[in-house]
Amino acid sequence: MTDVSSLSGSSRDVASQLFRARAHSVEVEARPRAEITHKPRKFNPPMPKYYYYYLMAPAIAILAFISLYPFFWLIIMSLQDVDIGGGEWIGLKNYTKLFTDARFIDGWILLAQYSIMCLGLQVGLGVTLAVVVNSSKYEKYLVTALLMPMMMAPAVAGLLWLFLYNGTFGWYHWVLQSAGILDSASILASADTAMYAIVLVDVWQWTPLITIIALAGLKRVPRDQLEANMVDGASPMRNFFAIILPNLYPVLLIAVLLRFMDNFRFIDSILVLTGGGPGSATKILPVYLFEVAFKFFKLGRGAAIALTLLIVTILLGKLLVRVFEKPQGGKG
Amino acid sequence: MASRDVVSYDTPLSRALSIFGTVFVAFYLVWTLLPFVVMFVSSFKDMLEAFKLPVVGDWAGMTVFFDFSPTLKHYTTLFTENSFGTYIMNSLIAAGGSAVISVVFGSLAAYSLSRVDFRGKQDLFFWIISTRMAPVVAVMVPLYAIFRSLDLVGTLPGLILAYTTFNLPFAIWMLKGFFDNVPYAIEEAQMVDGATRFEAFRSILPLVAPGIGAFVVLCVLFAWNDFLFAAIIGSGGAKTLPVATRELVQPQNIQWGSIMAAGVVTTAPMMLLGLVIRKYLVAGLTMGAVKE
Repeated sequence: MTDVSSLSGSSRDVASQLFRARAHSVEVEARPRAEITHKPRKFNPPMPKYYYYYLMAPAIAILAFISLYPFFWLIIMSLQDVDIGGGEWIGLKNYTKLFTDARFIDGWILLAQYSIMCLGLQVGLGVTLAVVVNSSKYEKYLVTALLMPMMMAPAVAGLLWLFLYNGTFGWYHWVLQSAGILDSASILASADTAMYAIVLVDVWQWTPLITIIALAGLKRVPRDQLEANMVDGASPMRNFFAIILPNLYPVLLIAVLLRFMDNFRFIDSILVLTGGGPGSATKILPVYLFEVAFKFFKLGRGAAIALTLLIVTILLGKLLVRVFEKPQGGKG
Repeated sequence: MASRDVVSYDTPLSRALSIFGTVFVAFYLVWTLLPFVVMFVSSFKDMLEAFKLPVVGDWAGMTVFFDFSPTLKHYTTLFTENSFGTYIMNSLIAAGGSAVISVVFGSLAAYSLSRVDFRGKQDLFFWIISTRMAPVVAVMVPLYAIFRSLDLVGTLPGLILAYTTFNLPFAIWMLKGFFDNVPYAIEEAQMVDGATRFEAFRSILPLVAPGIGAFVVLCVLFAWNDFLFAAIIGSGGAKTLPVATRELVQPQNIQWGSIMAAGVVTTAPMMLLGLVIRKYLVAGLTMGAVKE
């Protein structure tokens, strides 16, 4: 509003500018059209597919070099006895040896145990949390707080929990001990409890992911169904099991599959916390593979183990993609 | 919002449930956030003060946690005795380099994949996503052998390339979803006006720019937080923050104060970045399956 006085003083200037602008535009308009686009361009051909292939090429080339090429190398390596020096062909020996390798089989069993424990706790806690957060006034702040652990490097999280679990000065250890759950031995030192320790760290870091995915699913629960059910006299509990949970199911399936594959992918925190010990109590398969390949540098043997791990992951991936492509309940 | 406030119940059961819910969330928040508080506060404590604990079962003694005189010495040793300045630079270059490469080539590929159809496209997609999902250790076995023969182990370019194994497929996958949402009609209109195909592509870039920016940040986040690749492929010449932090754990002498300080240095920037791109975070962490 303060500008009005200054404007009114120079109103003639404004008018003249406007006039000039119009004159200019008339001038442009008056120019023959051919002068603007003096050289008419050729129309784009109807199916210029090759153009898209050029755009795609660099990314595909990079990806081929860092994923496809190594994959063939992996297969070749798995047929050789490779260590630091070089390789010699030994046929399928690396694979046949796996069947008698107790630690390889234990690795799979431990991986299954670890994943099931992690996922059970994460889904249980995560969904409960999502239901409560969804009906809270402070949803936005709660979600922000919950996102925090996911931003931390898993290796740093492992170190932090190593500190908290410590038998002489760890706060977490002190709390567990004071509550009478643990005696004076550290949770990481005993083969019976070490698995729970690494599960807890994973639960601490990744439960919020399940919560947030479930929260997105809760927003999609159709309101009319809830209302209809309530008009029929359903209790909130019944509402949850009859309507909310079935609607949540497709989203939860994605969450579970993603976390399941992440359990295969990331072993950073386990390497830092226990390194697979004590004994082999937490040596889940990826940790065992890490040990074989990068501690003892038995790369050929490692390649055979890696291939079994990859095949399982690819099968899981197929499942995941199929779930992705299914239309999800409500509007996506 | 859909499932809330439709009809308000007021039965003893629902009240009990809501009280239980509040208590549960309160406990959960304490459990989630307390480790951060411990890390942050311990990084300012002298060694002996950090190790102080109350007697077992003495819950009132917990105030001993705040009984210390703050010191910055752990942070200064990080930069004087350990060369954390270099490690921060290494982390920045490796994470930033791979993020930029991934998003530049990824957006070109994502755009063209979004606009063209050909046989085997689904298979190509499956290959891309399974590259992203493959276990890091399994990928590293052949990659290590190849990089060793190319003398890339222990160098930053090697680490950048290694991070690209998971960032590039991620970028292609996520950005394709983005380009799918831009109507082709915009480009068509541009081309009717005489634009070339590349100009048409450039004209829709402003529409997807915020998303592209967010995915650069997400790629940085994934690479910055990586430990395995950095420990093996980057070992020696290209030490990044998580690896350097891990190396403060020595068999004889674990420097907890420095570790906590290094943890803060590693975590704080990523937390800030995470908050900046919060809108895209959930989509990014779930491979685009869930949007907030």
